[in-house]
Amino acid sequence: MAGVLGAFEQAVLLAVLRLHGEAYGRGILKEVQARLEREVAAGAVHATLVRLEQKGLLASHLGPGTEVRAGRPRRYYALEPAGRRALNEARAAVATLWRGFKWPLRGRA
Amino acid sequence: MTKVIPPRWAETVLCLLLAPRDRQTVSGDLVEEYRETIYPARGQLRADVWYLTQVAEFLWRDNRAWAALLSGSFLARTALDWLVPTIEFHTRSTMSTAVSAGILLSAGFWAERRSHALLAGALAGIATTLIAAIISVIGAASLLAMWHDPQTRAAIQSSGGLEEVFTLPVMMVVPGAFLGVLGGLVGAAVRKLVPDTPC
Repeated sequence: MAGVLGAFEQAVLLAVLRLHGEAYGRGILKEVQARLEREVAAGAVHATLVRLEQKGLLASHLGPGTEVRAGRPRRYYALEPAGRRALNEARAAVATLWRGFKWPLRGRA
Repeated sequence: MTKVIPPRWAETVLCLLLAPRDRQTVSGDLVEEYRETIYPARGQLRADVWYLTQVAEFLWRDNRAWAALLSGSFLARTALDWLVPTIEFHTRSTMSTAVSAGILLSAGFWAERRSHALLAGALAGIATTLIAAIISVIGAASLLAMWHDPQTRAAIQSSGGLEEVFTLPVMMVVPGAFLGVLGGLVGAAVRKLVPDTPC
């Protein structure tokens, strides 16, 4: 299970996957916030995107700027095959950990 | 709506914290969020606070490791002075000064390497020192809570007193900025001699 993605890395990768070609910084931030149901700092998302791209799990390209962004370009992200594999491995790791248990767990919580 | 802007000085600080390839895109993301979501919902003042919080988080993320090292070295020296008293402080002072200077030079060096801006070194020095000061003051208070027997209090007095313990970390901000700039200068020189590999 060495090298399995962290929970936040999974959230960011799944946000990129869910946004289907419209995955840029602000969009990914809002998607992650919606899924995690909490405020997330832009710096945390940015650092994770940089790290995932350096690991080869994501690729990025620049898109045109808009007036609301004062003309500044957007950086769009897309999942690489390695990123897809990493997500599958992370999901399989959770399934292995939970083997023998039924979700949700019963008893006092 | 597209005319409102976040504080320009905060935007400048943000750009100093980012690699050149990320400056336009990340600052653009924050401006877009500020204009389309935050400002309409919260108004100018609270939107500005939101923006400053986002920039502070970048600042924290970039400098927290250096600050942890700096405060760790300061607290280690403090604990040593209190628990292993000595009358000869010259060696300890030289060592702890060298370690602190090395950490601040490194913080400035890596800040310049990341952002290709000399001012980033000064910002790293200031941020590292301020964050370390907060950690050091809390850490020193914790040490005092654990050890305050008469023998330890005598050791504290002979090593400079509590005033030094609680004010020195804060006083390091100005030398911290200077060392950060120095580290940044080294970073800029190294970058010129050994260019980054183009991607």
